[in-house]
Amino acid sequence: MTYIEHINTLLRIQVGKLPLVIYGQNITRGSCLGGFTRGVLPGKGGRAINTTNAESTLAGLGFGMLLEGQSSIFFTKQMDFLLLGIDQLVNTYNNIRSASDQKELGSYTIFPITVDSGLQGPQSSLNTFADFCTIAKIRGYTLTNKWDAGRILSRHLTAPGFRLMTVSQRMFKDELLPLPKPLWVGKDDTAFQYYAGDGATVVAFNFALPQAFTLREELKKAGIAAALFNVNSPTTYDCGKIIESTNKTKKLIVLDDSKSDNLPHNHLLADDKLKPLTLRLVIKRELKKDWLYPVKDLLEIDYKKVVEKVCKT
Amino acid sequence: MTLSLQKLGERVVWLRTAQLMINEEYRKGIFKVPIHLALGHEALAVALESVLSRNDRLILTHRNAAYNLARCQSLQAVRDEYLLKKSGLAGGKLGSMNLANPVRGIPYASSILGNSFPVGAGVALALQKKGKGIAISLGGDGSMEEGTFYETLTFAKAQKLPLIVLIENNKWSMATHISERRAPIDLTLFARALGVSYVHLSGNNVYTYVQALKKARAVAHKNGPVLVEAEVSTLGDWIKQEEKGPRLINYHSGPAPTVTFGGTIATIRRSPEDPLQVLEKKLGAVWLKKSVSKQYHTLRKELL
Repeated sequence: MTYIEHINTLLRIQVGKLPLVIYGQNITRGSCLGGFTRGVLPGKGGRAINTTNAESTLAGLGFGMLLEGQSSIFFTKQMDFLLLGIDQLVNTYNNIRSASDQKELGSYTIFPITVDSGLQGPQSSLNTFADFCTIAKIRGYTLTNKWDAGRILSRHLTAPGFRLMTVSQRMFKDELLPLPKPLWVGKDDTAFQYYAGDGATVVAFNFALPQAFTLREELKKAGIAAALFNVNSPTTYDCGKIIESTNKTKKLIVLDDSKSDNLPHNHLLADDKLKPLTLRLVIKRELKKDWLYPVKDLLEIDYKKVVEKVCKT
Repeated sequence: MTLSLQKLGERVVWLRTAQLMINEEYRKGIFKVPIHLALGHEALAVALESVLSRNDRLILTHRNAAYNLARCQSLQAVRDEYLLKKSGLAGGKLGSMNLANPVRGIPYASSILGNSFPVGAGVALALQKKGKGIAISLGGDGSMEEGTFYETLTFAKAQKLPLIVLIENNKWSMATHISERRAPIDLTLFARALGVSYVHLSGNNVYTYVQALKKARAVAHKNGPVLVEAEVSTLGDWIKQEEKGPRLINYHSGPAPTVTFGGTIATIRRSPEDPLQVLEKKLGAVWLKKSVSKQYHTLRKELL
């Protein structure tokens, strides 16, 4: 099953349970956002609305419903479009959470697609989920595989209060990563551990889990058992187990495919519980001169070189 | 049933007196949070408050003083909120510009121009789903310049939302008059272009305002969004001596420097721009004088 087929199946189940208002542009028309929202319908008494093109207003609608106890999900085709709704994400959300009794609020989730294939051109080059989450300390979740998607959607999609969630367009047609059941899940489902290992600690951010998974496989071939983590929330994530693992292996390899200067892995590197390391390798996007042109948006890794480095230290 | 002009007039006077008492203390520097008084908006605020049904919701702007006072009927609660006391209307958590009162149907107030229109539409959508109540989202002639004004009305029309978008047109956005910043916008034509009902209010007669708003409420509940434009004068302006000569400064926020109150005369402008002047013409100078005195003593008693 592909990544998007799996997420779509989970959405159909979760959304169909409740009388939600789901809305957004073309959510039940055409390709249904590339299959993301195909067949996704709310339970009895709910509504699905194909809206006007008005992202600022669409971002605010959900907050109005939330205040009135009505739960909703705003699906949007591109995370870039959500830039038009920043006022609502920051000012309205701050206003509401400062004074409201969370128990009396409805649920509101904004669910954009991170358009990270890189071929759309300069106006669609924003791929860093953290840029949205950190602007007002908004809880956000990336969905990267069957395990985190299942847990996060079932526990947070329609929970009271507000959050952001996102999927990676680049991964839509990929087969789901063959990951085992998580060994550990961080507080509020902000991070997941998939493998244990004493040889190195590999941690993925944003949508770099596929590369991190491959790196772990390559390290295994070289006889190094690496622990593998994925951080799903860019703000205030639980990195307790990651630090514990790193302090044991003394080798930390971070993979972050964010293009922004606002890199979520910096919180981990700055944590004062992290002891001195023998290897600290940060693999992030090196933006070339053509980064604003329609070129493939991919974190490229020389796996052989990385494995050699880990073996040498 | 609509209250008599006299009963409504008492409420208008109470609201004016309460705002004047805040202004007096504001002039003494008692309040630290920025307050946007709405002297001159009293007839509209009282009329709107009196047409709200139990399930209706009011979504306000930073100039929410008149509506919050009219809705909660307590100067003490609002004053304490401005002083950021726990006994304040919102427990001292919101201050002035974002002051809301969910228990009395005011779930949200925004200090960002145009921000509250979409939130109001969301509230209206939830109410539509429940099958009861309407949302009334306020803005001014400044916020209607924001894109969300158009976006919200377009969406609300498409979904036939029970929503009134009420524009308080005082012709000023901070210190800039409409004529200094844009071409005039004919909201009659604007509403017609979107297929939205339009209601125009002017003259500050609280009784006729109630009648018009009742009708607008019924239309919004049954047929979808209504755009109401109310002409208001935000009173409290003064003349500033500048290098190029004297310049009118329309009241925006802070204490109104030229407005004073000693407990007897509450009228600020001798024209229909002042709702109290309108009441004086309808009910007489003696009635107004007695009413101001009565409301002042009631409010002083509350604060004691």
